[in-house]
Parts: sequence; structure tokens; C-alpha cells
Amino acid sequence: MVRCYTYLKAYFLLIWRTAEKEEKLIIKKRRFWVPALFSVAVLLLSSCGSNETNGNGDKRNSTAKGSPILEDGKFIFAASGEFHPFSYMDGNQMSGFDIDVGNAISDKLGLEPIQKKYKFAGIVEGVKSGKFDAAVASHTINEERKKHVLLSKPYYYSGPQIFTRPEADIQHADDLKGKEIAVSKGSSYADIAKEHSGQEPKYYDSDVVALEALANGKHDAVVTDFATGAEAMKKKLKIEAQERLGQSEQAIAVSKENEQLIKEINDAIDALKKDGTLKQISEKYFDEDITVKQN
Amino acid sequence: MEMIVLPSLSHFFQTLIDSRGIFLEGMLLTLQLTVISIFIGMFIGLFFALLKISRVTVFGYIANAYIFLVRGTPLIVQIFILYFGLTELNIPDFWAASIALAFHNGAYIAEIFRGAIQSIDQGQKEAGRSLGMGRFLTMRRIILPQAMRRALPPLGNQFIIGLKDSSLAAFISVNELFNVATTQGSNSFDNMTYLLVVAVYYLVLVLLLTFAVQTFEKKLSVSDH
Repeated sequence: MVRCYTYLKAYFLLIWRTAEKEEKLIIKKRRFWVPALFSVAVLLLSSCGSNETNGNGDKRNSTAKGSPILEDGKFIFAASGEFHPFSYMDGNQMSGFDIDVGNAISDKLGLEPIQKKYKFAGIVEGVKSGKFDAAVASHTINEERKKHVLLSKPYYYSGPQIFTRPEADIQHADDLKGKEIAVSKGSSYADIAKEHSGQEPKYYDSDVVALEALANGKHDAVVTDFATGAEAMKKKLKIEAQERLGQSEQAIAVSKENEQLIKEINDAIDALKKDGTLKQISEKYFDEDITVKQN
Repeated sequence: MEMIVLPSLSHFFQTLIDSRGIFLEGMLLTLQLTVISIFIGMFIGLFFALLKISRVTVFGYIANAYIFLVRGTPLIVQIFILYFGLTELNIPDFWAASIALAFHNGAYIAEIFRGAIQSIDQGQKEAGRSLGMGRFLTMRRIILPQAMRRALPPLGNQFIIGLKDSSLAAFISVNELFNVATTQGSNSFDNMTYLLVVAVYYLVLVLLLTFAVQTFEKKLSVSDH
């Protein structure tokens, strides 16, 4: 115990460079240095983890109009980065339709856009738990999601489509009965696939991986967004598009407690539609305007 | 910093009970993957271990190359190569995972067996040879039985690792425990609860495996009295 005290004295005196003879001897021992270095390492590592966010529900940070956000002056939105051409990796950052829309909305809100890559299957839960301000990740509006998060008005219209290999004989929704369909986890396509084939689909982390597997000879079909499949075909993936399975509306997701932010986002969407920015973004990626309802 | 949101105990148990059907199906796949990979892995492991300690230098090189390649690349990369890469072979998801796991475990098991065989006193081999036994017979009747006992603790370890490695099959759509957990979790927007539930399933499986290996060790140690 006495030695312990001497060690601690040596610790402090080391900082102040006034070590006495006894302390000087101890400093030379390894028994002193190992715990000293260890505690320095622990202190360094513990300071790494902290970030400046104030957490969910803290009203200290807010937009100009007073909606709560996580970080001052920043609009943090999530996308999967695995859903060409809506969000995909472009070097270290994500690019794509969703990202451009996220950036545009951020501009209208007067905030700096910060994108976060997150696994699609966990994004809604991430929004719920306050990991990001919003999710601009092509979430189809459905009742199930509405129970957990607030969805904005649609920012684009699309629809699921069946994709198969060229030589397959699946063309219409009824041909899917009893077939093995691959989908992305947590997507609205999973339920559609189950409905049409009558059996449990095969789950992948992303639609793009599912399409690749299809092209490589696995599974019978993939149900995903028609734009994603079209993009994959453009990239020479050996798949074919079949029947479209209806229309869907895609929206931005925000935490259920943040009614103000969703209102601001809705206003921003309206403004972007009015001044043609949304149309511009759409025509950049697709040769048509998917931000208005098609027939 | 966000708080870690833990599910309430009642919600956790409710989910555990409600989802048991689909998790038990997933567990079946996990067990199948593990058993196949360990079973084949043992044969591969023994084969390459013997190759490595063989007098023929070329065999040693082949074994070293195999062990180096398989241990040197991540298992997930190996699984993806077999599934997405080798397109002409068109290996279905379950078998791509099983084969990758078997070869992966095999490399580690080869080193385990080699260590166990080489730890047997040289005197045993000399005794066998001086009794007129051929090299193969000595190995089969004297060295290997003793080596197997030494190999059991690290082998048990490798089995547990193999069991947990089977979770990587989720990335090629095999519906084993981990895939079930993330799918159900994302469908119900509640990943945390399902991850905790699947952790319990893995714990139970590892417990059973550990128990089996311990029993085996005890049985083989009867000769120690």
C-alpha cells in the first residue's frame, strides 16, 4: 500500500518534473510505465468516441423555423448507397437521385447536407432512434412504415417490377407462383414477392446484390424498383424486365416525434417541385420526370 | 451520444417465444452448415496435416500453399468467390457456404492436427517402427489415436468458431439464424430485440457443442489412470 502511494506520487511528480530520488527510481521501473501507458491509451480512446450530437429530442439544435435537428446547421440524412441509381458509392461519398434530393432539401432548409451511409434494412429503425434527422432512401409509402415513422409527401413515383434472366419463362405476376424470388431485406418488395410466389423469398442485404445473384443463375426472379433494374441492365447485367407490379410512392422518413421537420420537408418538396429542381434532378438520372404521377 | 435502447424483458421474452418457429428453421440450417463443414473439414484437415509432415517435400509445399491461401483470405471473400464468382459452376447458396466453410475450417484443423501429431513423443514412432510396423501402420495404430486426444481442446475451439462462422452464409441469402434475425428485425423495425434473441440461440448451441466436446474428452481420458 505504501508503495502504491509512492507510485501515485511518482505519477503526479512526473507531470511536474520535480521527482525526488525515490520517485525517480520508480519511474525507471517497468511496473510504473505499463499502467501509465495503459491509462494514457484508455484516456485517448475514450475521447475518440464522443461526437457533438445532442441526441434525440434535445431541442437545443433547430432549423431556422424551429424544427429540432441533431446537429446545429446540418441536415443529416441516411441512404443505403446500395440502390443504383438512387444512391450509390461514388468514391468516398454517395451519389444518386436520393442524394441529390437530400442535398436540394437541405438547401431549402438552409442547412448543410451531411449524408450517412447505412444498411437499408436498418434505416427506419435508425430514424426512430435518432441516428439521423431524416432518411432519403426511396422508402415506399406503406401502412406498416407509417406506424413507426412520419413519411413526407411523395418525392418520386415508381413501381416494383419483375426481373428475370433472359431465357426464363416468367412474364406476368401469375407466373411467379411457387417460384424462388430474391429481394432486399426490409424492402416493400419482400411482401409483394411473398404475395405472388406464395413462399418465403430469399433475402439479401441490397437489391443490387440480389440482381447480381439472379444474373449469375441463382433464383428465378427478383422484385425491385424498375429504375434499379433498368440501371443494372444498362450496366450490362444479363437480366430482363418483365411485368410491372403497380405503382408506388416514395417518401422521406422522419422520426414520429418530429412533426415540425416533416412539415418543413414537405414545404421544401413543394418548393422544389414548383421551381423545377426536382424535375431537373429526375431528368439527370432518368430520361423522364418521375417526380410526377405517371399513368 | 445516443442511448443504447434495450428492449424490455417482457418484450424480449415475447419475441423469443413468438418467433421460435422461424428461428428453429434457421437453426436447422445453421446446424446443417456447421455439421457438414466440420465433418468434411476434419477429413481435409487430416489430409493436409499428413501432407505437411510428409517426407516428400512437394507434398509439404502443396499443404503449405493451401493453408496459407485459405487462412490468409477472409472467409466471407471465399464464400463470395464460390457463390458470385464461379458463375459457370453455378453453386447453390447452401453448398457454396458449406464448401467454403469446410475448406476454411479444414485449413485451421490441419494445423491443429499437425501440432497434435508432432507433439507425440518421437519414441512412440520409433517403438512402432522397431516392432516392424510400416510408416502408415505406425501412424494409424500408434500416433493418430494419441494425437486425437491432444487435438480435442483446440478442435473443440475450432468447432465453436465454425458454428459462428456459419452466420456469414446470411450474406448469400441462406436463411440461417443470423439472416432470420436481421430479416425479422428489419421487417418489424426492431433489430435490437431480434439480435439479442439470436444471440441466445447461438449461446445455447455453443453450450451444447462445448458439452459434447467435454464429454468426449472425458471418455478419452479414461486411459490416464
